[in-house]
Amino acid sequence: LRHILTIKTSTWWDEHLSEDNVSFMRKTVMEEYKQLTTDKLNPLKDEPWPRHEWEENSRRVGLVAVKLGMMPVWTKTGEKHVVTMLQVQDCHVIKYLSKDENDGRSAALIVGAKNVSPFYRSEESMDIFRNAGLPPKQKLTTFNVTNNAIIKPGTPLYAAHFRPGQVVDVTAKTIGKGFQGVMKRWGFSGQPASHGQTKTHRRPGALGPGGDPAKVFKGKKMPGKMGNIYNTAFGLKVWRVNTKYNVLYVNGSVPGHRNCLVKVRDTILPRLLKKNNDPPFPTFFAEGGEELPEDLYAEDMFQPGDSMTF
Amino acid sequence: AMACRKVCQMVQRRLASSAAAERLSAAELRSWRSALFSKEQNRQRSLYPRIEKIEVAMQGPGLQGTRLVMNKGVSTPHSCAKHLTEWHVSSAALALVDGELWHLHRPLTRSCILRLLTFKDVDPQLVNQAFWRSCASLLGQVLDDAFKEEYSVELLNVLEVPVSAGAFCCDLVLDPRLDSWSPSEENLRSLTRDAQQLIHKDLPWEPLEVAPPVALEIFSHSRCKQEEVEEIAAHSPNGVVSLYRCGQHVMLSGGPLVARTGLCCQYEVTALHAVGEGQWGLQRRAQGLSLPVNLTVMRNSVLSNSRCHNLCFVLFSLKEFCFMQYVDQDCLLDQNCVSVSMC
Repeated sequence: LRHILTIKTSTWWDEHLSEDNVSFMRKTVMEEYKQLTTDKLNPLKDEPWPRHEWEENSRRVGLVAVKLGMMPVWTKTGEKHVVTMLQVQDCHVIKYLSKDENDGRSAALIVGAKNVSPFYRSEESMDIFRNAGLPPKQKLTTFNVTNNAIIKPGTPLYAAHFRPGQVVDVTAKTIGKGFQGVMKRWGFSGQPASHGQTKTHRRPGALGPGGDPAKVFKGKKMPGKMGNIYNTAFGLKVWRVNTKYNVLYVNGSVPGHRNCLVKVRDTILPRLLKKNNDPPFPTFFAEGGEELPEDLYAEDMFQPGDSMTF
Repeated sequence: AMACRKVCQMVQRRLASSAAAERLSAAELRSWRSALFSKEQNRQRSLYPRIEKIEVAMQGPGLQGTRLVMNKGVSTPHSCAKHLTEWHVSSAALALVDGELWHLHRPLTRSCILRLLTFKDVDPQLVNQAFWRSCASLLGQVLDDAFKEEYSVELLNVLEVPVSAGAFCCDLVLDPRLDSWSPSEENLRSLTRDAQQLIHKDLPWEPLEVAPPVALEIFSHSRCKQEEVEEIAAHSPNGVVSLYRCGQHVMLSGGPLVARTGLCCQYEVTALHAVGEGQWGLQRRAQGLSLPVNLTVMRNSVLSNSRCHNLCFVLFSLKEFCFMQYVDQDCLLDQNCVSVSMC
């Protein structure tokens, strides 16, 4: 009698496959698993855009905020500074312009703030908002952005995008003063009030050199409409960020009247660039899961309840 | 052995997917159903080869004694409104024919008394309910289209949620691979955007009354829908099933829908959560909010509960201001929950 060997039930997966089939299966299994895991995260047709890490020389988006007012702030050593409060209301990314669409130098993101009624807007202007699925905004600004900082249109932007200690530039339309004379507009000193001046107290005086050029140079400072132009305040430090009401406390004064919309972005001043290292990149996402405290303060700011050292 | 089993499963799946050649992709399925719908629609139209006239008496403010002579089986309440004024065309949402609720684009078959219902009537209950139902079917259409091709989406029957509950719901069952997935804010935003684009296209809802066998053929790829068809046929008085088509999407509905998608405004998809294990898999409920086009609310208003009975309301795209209540299948929401205040 011969012993009948029991049939081996365990085989290995490529025992009966040819070599070509083995390599094919190896490749396709890995690809399918990877695709399954990524698809599980976003099964909808339009996927979220990839988020990259911050690098040196990358520029990220800014915000559009409403200027609320000003208030004093003290440092731990007792010096007083003034801050402007800027509230971020309904700030969303509305459109993405690639490098070619923009100006050939860098990509751009159009950001809008503060919802307004759609009933007083034309159909053409509603097109951009409809593509993003957002209500129409009062102000739209463009931010030139590096390719690793692009954000999907429709994402909301919050004040926590900036952290205390960062430095910021704020652009806004200055308060319009109307047609102003040369003393207010350009700071000329005018002429004395008395001692024989005939009808000349606030006039510009001489207009230029004289006979040699025999003309008035272009750009001569003269009276005209003052204000109501975009002006930027550079290098403003962020003292405090309130995440509950989305308010930024920014050093010094900012152009524009109260309740005007301002454009806030990271500084371009070369000496202060290193203060903006490692910011929330490309922006602060509220559904990221990280819980921020209601108020974020800068390190040297005096918080009520602290003890003072003299 | 584990690896071997996994590989065998995968190989089986591949073979299964290649063998089931009759399983169509989602887009093909939609166009196939739409083609069948058009065929049935043409067949029903061809039942009236000669034009016969019917007399329609209009009822309504300022329309006393208006009698229109329309074509039998061809004219719809929408065409009656077109004979009146442009305001009637744009504001009419639903029609009452001899006291019976009639979709605006459904052909009239006999001489009758017609009343056009708008959102600003004295008693807009019926119109509001139809509006809520249409918003829910729009939500279903958006969800059907939003997922990638490899994931199957099954829409279950639309729940009849009263307007005072504060949200309309649509039940659906997703592919079992997505059981552990829950939508993020961004997904909800993209769903809202798709819905708003559909609304902007202003597509009409086309009604069609069909016999159950035709409906079963249209939904022959979906067992769940076929069961629904059988249920509706069993409950309806004369055994017909009413289908609606919007764009390319064919759907069932428990009652009349509003005339076109453009009547909805400020549409928001607010939540999508899992309800529980159902007959077909993990059941999910999607909720949304919308307002009719003439009754929108500006952002800086504080809304109170008392308007809840006549209007449904809004949130101007900021979900943080709206607290959505989870609508359970058999409990009615507490009236106090639905006040929305915006700063």
